[in-house]
Amino acid sequence: MSNEFLLAASSRTPKVSLNFDTGVLSLSGECYPEDATQFFGALNEALDRHFSNANNLSANISLIYFNSSSARALMELMDKFEDKAKSGSSISVVWSCDEDDDVTQEFVEDLLSDYSAMQLKVELIKSD
Amino acid sequence: MLCYSGYVSEDLLDAIGLTLKVRLNEHVEDRKKVKQIFSIFIELMQNLIRYGLEGPKGVTIKDEDHSGFGLVMVVEELDGYVSLISGNYIKSEAVPAMEARLSKVQGKSDEELRALLKDQIRKPTEETSKGASLGLTEIARRSAKPIETSFVQSDDKHHFFMMKAFV
Repeated sequence: MSNEFLLAASSRTPKVSLNFDTGVLSLSGECYPEDATQFFGALNEALDRHFSNANNLSANISLIYFNSSSARALMELMDKFEDKAKSGSSISVVWSCDEDDDVTQEFVEDLLSDYSAMQLKVELIKSD
Repeated sequence: MLCYSGYVSEDLLDAIGLTLKVRLNEHVEDRKKVKQIFSIFIELMQNLIRYGLEGPKGVTIKDEDHSGFGLVMVVEELDGYVSLISGNYIKSEAVPAMEARLSKVQGKSDEELRALLKDQIRKPTEETSKGASLGLTEIARRSAKPIETSFVQSDDKHHFFMMKAFV
């Protein structure tokens, strides 16, 4: 069994990696897949596998752009992390936003304001 | 700046999106504007892919509810705005539901739209919109001026729906 879940970036989807040993999850790139449910479904399965024998996760979300259906899938991902954190897992999320995109920054701040059990940090990055 | 009319697919979205990015990087100085234009463009295109119908003259439709057909334009206006326009046929019976969805975002302030986005993301998907009333709110939120919309009846079964956003 491989100790890493890896998806290469495509023109519409980010690079995704989840290391089952270290519990480091990384999403980077742009995210506007044809079918967000399907794309995030694969990641969810990998996360379920990770949490089946681990109780820590450190996520770096660095998406220059994501569309509205990905936004909902990302929220569901955060809900999952929050649930895990509430039941005792150690979860931290660093969410990097494009400094040139105020609307997305606000959106991420609003989204994350619902969570309290996991550790959260929003950073601004310069894209291009 | 850009105009496309015809069938729309995700692969086409890639190609046109990339072309638009190159054009924007050459023509629009303000990085913030570039981001807003690109975001609205993607939402408009994905709306066409999901909801755009061929309309009265369509002859090749296999699934008349999912033909993914429409037009999109990105225009540099004389007043300095960049406008993004989409147009597509919809079934006439879908017009009231579309108007209801539009009425939730039209005439709203930025703060109201921001709150609406936060609210809508938590709501289960409406059956008639495959995942994204959120998309409409996002377009309105990113538009620098109120979005403009129109419905024109084209035959007894179809209306042509147009939407215009500004950055």
